[in-house]
Amino acid sequence: MLSEITVLFRRLRTWAMIGALALIPVLIAVVVRVSSDGSGSGRGPAFLNSITQNGLFVSLTALTVAIPLFLPLTIGVVAGDTIAGEANLGTLRYLLVAPAGRIRLLLVKYAGAALFCFVATLTVVVTGGIIGALLFPVGPVTLLSGDTVGIAGYFVRLLLLALYVTVSLLGLSAIGLFISTLTTIPVGAMAATAALAAVAQILGALPQLEWLHPWLFTNYWLGFADLLREPIVWTSFADNALLQAGYIAVFGTLAYGRFSTKDILS
Amino acid sequence: MTIRPPEESALPVRTPRVNMASLAIQTHGLTKVFGKQAVVGGIDLAVPSGTVFGFLGPNGSGKTTTIRMLLGLAAASSGEINLLDGVMPRDARAVLPRVGALVEGPAIYPFLSGRANLQRFDAADRHTSPSTRNARVDAALERVGLGHAATKRAHAYSLGMKQRLGIANALLAPRELLILDEPTNGLDPQGTREVRNLIKSLSDDGTTIFVSSHLLAEVEQMCSMVAVMSAGRLVAQGTLDELRSEGIARVRVTTPDHVEARRVLAGLGLDTETHGRDDVVTAELSVPGLLPETVNAALVRADVRVRGFETSGASLEDRFVALTGEGFDVAG
Amino acid sequence: MNKNWRWLPAGIVPAVIVAASVSGTAVAEAQPQLPAKTAQELLEFVATGSDEAYSGTVEQESNLGLPDIGMATPPGGTSSSDPTSMALELLTGEHTARVFVDGPDRARVQVLDELAERDVIVNENEIWSYDSRANEARHVVLPDKDAVKAELETKLQENAAKHPELQDLPRTPAELAETFLAKIDPDTAVTVSGTSRVADRSAYELLLTPEDPSTLIGSISVSVDSETGVPLGVAVQAKGQEDAAFEAGFSDVDFAAPDAGLFEFTPPAGATVTEAPTADELETELKAKTEGKTGENTQSLPAGSPEKPTVVGEGWSTIVELPIGSAGLMGLKPGSDPDAGMGEIMEIEPGMDPEDIAGAQAMLDQALTEVDGGRALQTALASVLITDDGRVLVGAVGIDQLIAASQQ
Repeated sequence: MLSEITVLFRRLRTWAMIGALALIPVLIAVVVRVSSDGSGSGRGPAFLNSITQNGLFVSLTALTVAIPLFLPLTIGVVAGDTIAGEANLGTLRYLLVAPAGRIRLLLVKYAGAALFCFVATLTVVVTGGIIGALLFPVGPVTLLSGDTVGIAGYFVRLLLLALYVTVSLLGLSAIGLFISTLTTIPVGAMAATAALAAVAQILGALPQLEWLHPWLFTNYWLGFADLLREPIVWTSFADNALLQAGYIAVFGTLAYGRFSTKDILS
Repeated sequence: MTIRPPEESALPVRTPRVNMASLAIQTHGLTKVFGKQAVVGGIDLAVPSGTVFGFLGPNGSGKTTTIRMLLGLAAASSGEINLLDGVMPRDARAVLPRVGALVEGPAIYPFLSGRANLQRFDAADRHTSPSTRNARVDAALERVGLGHAATKRAHAYSLGMKQRLGIANALLAPRELLILDEPTNGLDPQGTREVRNLIKSLSDDGTTIFVSSHLLAEVEQMCSMVAVMSAGRLVAQGTLDELRSEGIARVRVTTPDHVEARRVLAGLGLDTETHGRDDVVTAELSVPGLLPETVNAALVRADVRVRGFETSGASLEDRFVALTGEGFDVAG
Repeated sequence: MNKNWRWLPAGIVPAVIVAASVSGTAVAEAQPQLPAKTAQELLEFVATGSDEAYSGTVEQESNLGLPDIGMATPPGGTSSSDPTSMALELLTGEHTARVFVDGPDRARVQVLDELAERDVIVNENEIWSYDSRANEARHVVLPDKDAVKAELETKLQENAAKHPELQDLPRTPAELAETFLAKIDPDTAVTVSGTSRVADRSAYELLLTPEDPSTLIGSISVSVDSETGVPLGVAVQAKGQEDAAFEAGFSDVDFAAPDAGLFEFTPPAGATVTEAPTADELETELKAKTEGKTGENTQSLPAGSPEKPTVVGEGWSTIVELPIGSAGLMGLKPGSDPDAGMGEIMEIEPGMDPEDIAGAQAMLDQALTEVDGGRALQTALASVLITDDGRVLVGAVGIDQLIAASQQ
């Protein structure tokens, strides 16, 4: 496991993606700072207008922007690379001959992808907090319910938020893991995973498919706002966790079925 | 690579020291079918413990597929595999930690250093001890002569260095069996010799070594036993001497009386060959029981002036060409 | 060497998930056994429920046959500066609200929107409303409890976009049931139709069936908690419709006193705070309104209405007629001007988001149909007629009856 983490985080690519994610809040903060003369017009992502009053909102805005596209993209890269990447390098055969054990390898690979989800989310939140504090005034934060919490309370919620978003991405990671066992071409697995995230979001936006929405892994992605209410609405957290657990179970067993019967010929 | 002084003669052919009943690798009717084509068609390998066993065959003859099945990477379509004291792939967890392998060339993480690569593979086996990992990795790197390049990123390694790293990976822990697929691929003559010496020294330590190669010369120099694959089938298996004895010796006569010489040889039932030189007559000793000295005596009796008389022992090369047919990459 | 069994889990897991979700629904539909109650007994039971303290989540679903505003609005949601689209948005699709009630004097309703929230907090004689998207808060202080109640009603209606006839902002089920129970009159058959399970609690089903043939309302059923008498759900059935046209009910409820801090509201720094008129002014205004009532079923008016409404008919088929000018007040313009395109049917305020305007226009375009003497909107439960001279007629009846009433 430790070895998996080392390999993941010694890759330049991993850091490039984390850097790109960190850039989101920085860009948002700088753009808002530069153009903060005019009052907000009500356009743009939620919380954008609040940034000038309180820098701590940079994290939230960045997260809202990152969730639909950038986070799924980076998770697609990491999850799609899990098995297919090793197969492509040829290192998969040496891991298995070591022997790593196929189930153990799958579990470790999945855990690595899950950890990346958390680090990626935390990166957006933490850089958002830092750049926001640098460029804007910081103070007690207004929740959606109109109540105000202190900075400490806000950080607890931000941590919960990062956790929520991480959990949200676990289903996608499981899908990526499965796709990754199907091919030895990592780019294909990455693209397929990221594309699935996009497709699920498009389906989720079609009211005609409302019956399908509760089954889409993207269904609760923006539900993190429920952690910003007073008191916190835990149902979306629980529903989301249950949904993601379902995806992990289905695609985890699919990945197991595929990987444990697969001939490693690369 | 530490070069060991050549304690033994350059002729590497050794007889198995170990009881033949104890087999490190044994297969029965091992078959792999891809689609409708049998890539490996029912082979029965028997690799005695303690031998250096050559697995010879042209490219595409099914060697690597066989090795993948031995190591549990690919599932056999039918047949059984015994590896050390276990059945593959059922006992992979118990058996594979005692097996070092180089399969179809080395594979590396280009963004990691050589040392980090080995640490990664070592960590993949949960039986290895993390406390001795660094020492074992460094020892393996020293053994293949990569100590100086241990911290270099592996993408900067030459082909030969990568090959050495792959061999080092197989040596991370004390192994009972080494399965090395084309271990000298990409190595210069010096490196090839080093690998040969390494294999010899490992074998002296009691490790069974299963070396696949398409190079006859290499197998001939390293191995005491050999199995020959051709088009997915095992066409021969045994000690080198056994194979040689199955071969046909040749005689080469240098004489000014070549017409008479041909007549004498033909009288003995041999087919003579021409070489464009009038003073040389060669022939296969294709008549069972006919010894070279008998041929020489017959020539002398017929007053053929023999300037030179040579016998070339059973040529493995000829034998392998006969076994594997055309297209066998004999000389490499 | 058959390894196909390794695929077995991948087949079993989805099957288990499907089975679990199916059986979960089946369990929820079991009907509880409860001691029999007459309609009268049940109504009295409901009256005792108003002192309860509880909190829970209310799901509201409307199926009024209006076009879905969700298609016409930007993903961020509607802008609260556009009251028409907000009201219609609340009337279509689904909404979730959290309700905290501590006796009759303290309540908080939170309408949970995506990345936003609308709150109404009632604490004794203080009322706050807050909209997170606009970061706007409104504050009202009332002198006494009864006035608070009346004002709450007004506030709720104002929040429902100054559009009194479409005031279906999700409220507590208790409030909704009260509204409907107040309508009980000789035209209505009131029965206890059975039992049900709502929010994992057993409940009585109170069924109100209008006997007036001209109304669009088929029946109203109220689910009353069997232990506390708190209404847990309301469903309104339109005549000839299979599914409920309007449904609101608790999806979960907890009968424990909510945290008192929830009813203490301090507007956040940076929010726009509007103070309502002083108590005296308000009292005068309320008095004026009460005097202006001509029938017991009159709906309250948004503050500042130019004239008083008139009421035609009674009971379930009551038609309310708002005088000339009302259409403009509500963001609608009469179509009397022959050159008036759809662009003029809305009152476009400066600062409004062009996308919102376009969205609301597209929606009105779909919803309003040309009829004799004006434009009309027919929903499953009510009809609206905007006459060419600017009057607005509303009632739980068909458009024909509205046209007839407008010509009297």
